Amino acid sequence: MPLDIDPSILGREFDRAEHEPVTADALISFAIALGETYPCYIQAGPELIAHPTYCVRFKGRKFFPDTLPETLRFQMSFDAGKDIALGVPIRPGDVITIVSTLHEVYEKTGRTGSMVFVVVRFTMTNQRRETVAVVDNRFMYKGLQA
Amino acid sequence: MRVRPFDEVAEGDEIDPQAFRHDKDHVRAYARASDIYFPRFTDDEGARREGLPGMITPGNMSMGLVASYLERWAGPGTLRRLGTTFRGLLLPDRTIRICGVVTQRDDASRSVEVDVWIENDDAERAVIGTATLALG
Repeated sequence: MPLDIDPSILGREFDRAEHEPVTADALISFAIALGETYPCYIQAGPELIAHPTYCVRFKGRKFFPDTLPETLRFQMSFDAGKDIALGVPIRPGDVITIVSTLHEVYEKTGRTGSMVFVVVRFTMTNQRRETVAVVDNRFMYKGLQA
Repeated sequence: MRVRPFDEVAEGDEIDPQAFRHDKDHVRAYARASDIYFPRFTDDEGARREGLPGMITPGNMSMGLVASYLERWAGPGTLRRLGTTFRGLLLPDRTIRICGVVTQRDDASRSVEVDVWIENDDAERAVIGTATLALG
């Protein structure tokens, strides 16, 4: 089924979510679960910072904009990958805000047929408005056309 | 904590592969620490009800393992960018192997680009990616 994407919905903020302050315990348990041994990731104290992929724990309140065609919003998708650009480290006490935008919608043809990719961008900032990470979440749909 | 010196790295350098048994308890611990409670990440029966062959590894965990692998080589706090593509299911209770190779050096920023991937025990690349690391 062909998709009719209005280009004006790209890049427009569709969600904003502020999370509870980050705790040292959460940072440490996350890093330990990944087998980390660097003290800066697993030891409480002034040097403690988040593991670089801790940012992927944060989510928005809704994952897709209401303006995305229903053929995409309500169809099962697969997590195809992520791109993370890191900013300043996350530290205990930080309050992270996520702004969500629909970044890109594109089609690819692979061995198993056509696939549509929807990229949702999370821009994450701390309470000082410093960027901690920009995360592009790539979702893949099979059997659709953009 | 030592950061790898930029001058000691050349294009084409291989990062020592890291092979280890990736078990279900490891995945469950990550799921708990990440507040993700989908059955596919915690038990085989729940995963089968979702049409999967058994418990799978969250893509985000694969990313985390890759990030830790790269910083074990480059030093803590060196990762600037990481892009990953999840190409296949990474099933636990198997041996996995994380590998990387330096593809590019940038003198101005003293950073390197790296290709990185996770192989399962059939030598299939279930996760592939690229990364930027700022060296000393």
